[in-house]
Amino acid sequence: MKTAHELRPGNVIMLDGSPWVVQKTETTRSGRNAAIVKMKLKHVLQDSTTETTFKGDDKMEDIILERLACTYSYYADPMYVFMDAEYNQYDVEADNLGDAAAYIVDGMEEECSVTFYEGKAISVELPVTIVREVTYTEPAARGDTSGKVMKPATITGGGTVTVAEFVKIGDMIEIDTRTNEFKKRV
Amino acid sequence: MTSLSDSFTQNQATHWDIFCAVVDNYGDIGVTWRLAKQLAAEYQIDINLWVDDLQSFSHILPELDCELSKQRFFGVNILQWNSPLDIPYIPGSLLIEAFACELPSSVIDIIESQHKAHQTIEPNSSLANNVSKPPVWINLEYLSAEDWVDGCHGLPSMQASGIKKYFYFPGFSHHSGGLICEENLFNQRDSWQSDDKNKLALFKRLGLTGIDVNDYVISVFSYETDALTALCQYWINAAQSEVNTQKIHALIPMGKSLHSIISLLGVSFDTIKATQRFSMGNLTIHILPMTDQTEFDRLLWSCDFNIVRGEDSFLRAQWAAKPFIWHIYPQEDDYHLVKLQAFVNIYSLKLENDIANIWSKTNFAFNQQDTNVVEHWQQLISAQLPLQQHAKDWPVDAKKDADLASRLVEFVKTS
Repeated sequence: MKTAHELRPGNVIMLDGSPWVVQKTETTRSGRNAAIVKMKLKHVLQDSTTETTFKGDDKMEDIILERLACTYSYYADPMYVFMDAEYNQYDVEADNLGDAAAYIVDGMEEECSVTFYEGKAISVELPVTIVREVTYTEPAARGDTSGKVMKPATITGGGTVTVAEFVKIGDMIEIDTRTNEFKKRV
Repeated sequence: MTSLSDSFTQNQATHWDIFCAVVDNYGDIGVTWRLAKQLAAEYQIDINLWVDDLQSFSHILPELDCELSKQRFFGVNILQWNSPLDIPYIPGSLLIEAFACELPSSVIDIIESQHKAHQTIEPNSSLANNVSKPPVWINLEYLSAEDWVDGCHGLPSMQASGIKKYFYFPGFSHHSGGLICEENLFNQRDSWQSDDKNKLALFKRLGLTGIDVNDYVISVFSYETDALTALCQYWINAAQSEVNTQKIHALIPMGKSLHSIISLLGVSFDTIKATQRFSMGNLTIHILPMTDQTEFDRLLWSCDFNIVRGEDSFLRAQWAAKPFIWHIYPQEDDYHLVKLQAFVNIYSLKLENDIANIWSKTNFAFNQQDTNVVEHWQQLISAQLPLQQHAKDWPVDAKKDADLASRLVEFVKTS
């Protein structure tokens, strides 16, 4: 069992007797420190998606399907191609990558986990933390009174992450792929 | 009080259940009690309000008998929520878990069984009309002005059993779940505020003496903060400065706010009693007795400035059409400041920049225990006329075309 807060793109969960791939997660905070997790899910057996919301500590059954450690090889529209240690290639539909697609870049060395359902590669799970270069961000802004000054930054591959005010273009930053949160500058 | 026996046998399929776990004395129960009363009064819905702490509830509903497991007030059935439940839960047409409280497992078992039974019936079968649908299940969430609320409001939460629970987010936009506001509230407030005799009569009723009609009266219902201590010290010496040398009265209930200023009173907390007053320089501190929600609203309408906390009093201060400071419930990593900023942003949209800035700084200083709040307060008071006008205009802007109860009724119809 995993809590909603622990789920991330690529996980497969069982709801109402059906397997669903987590495509996107977005965690926000409600009152009294409670987390709310908004998710986009794709039905593994049907071509349908749904948006849903969970309490952060809601528990759900994550299905242990066959998984293989793979590295990203190349993109052949609309499939991302991954390769295992024995050079077998597996195609994963771009749709099934969800938010993880923002971190897939040519030449990436991080090992990913490709999940199979009935022999078909259905999703990809990234490492929990990933390091990417900031390709664009505005200079530090002033005047925010919240005491938690953050700003958007574009990273290699085109994705956007909210980063601390001190981060500059060219910085390498560590990102938590479960929450898309900036962790630190490395 | 009316008999409950009728309430439990009539309209069993159409009643609504609201479960409320009391966490912070008056916040959760304050919101759910207002909602329950409004739904019963304005929509004639049979409401069962399940509460796990009748003692706390009795502070805002003094007529409540904490020994009774079932009682009825204002058309609402109030049920003691024991663990395990000793009153049988009978599914109605709506089930609300307030503020993500954990429902009793027996309640979840019942609605899941109902869901399974309903799922197995073919829609066109002759049995379809005989097997009742499970109630619409809602998690009534906390009020927030943050942008993400619109994207999450009304979304289903798929449960492992297949039954859906919907997340219902109160909020300030058209796309949110709206704000709790009774139909005639603004008329009642305007009528009250049109005659100063009303506020003087209220102060007298509450045992608050020595308040003149032209004095500056501030209600204080906050958490502990050094900013309040600093403000009180400033108000003590405030004669001959701002507020046209008005005398200042701070009305403070027994509780968290009082802890922040106890050092100024020169007495121990245990010896303080409701209606007691302490005069120091230009400031008189009055110890407020507990009141029910109607009187609390009137109190907010009667003061020149309100310092409020949490969710229920925060919203009621907005409906009071008076300037206020919001002491928001503190969260880990100072996340409450993000929520405060989101509200400040929308509240300030129609304020002039400099006034918005002062109001924002005052609120942040109060929430960050910053004793520089005094500086901001002085500026705030010098801008009190436009701030008062804005406070009068804001309620209509905030409520928009529909309040929470009417949006909720519509939501249930279409879910």
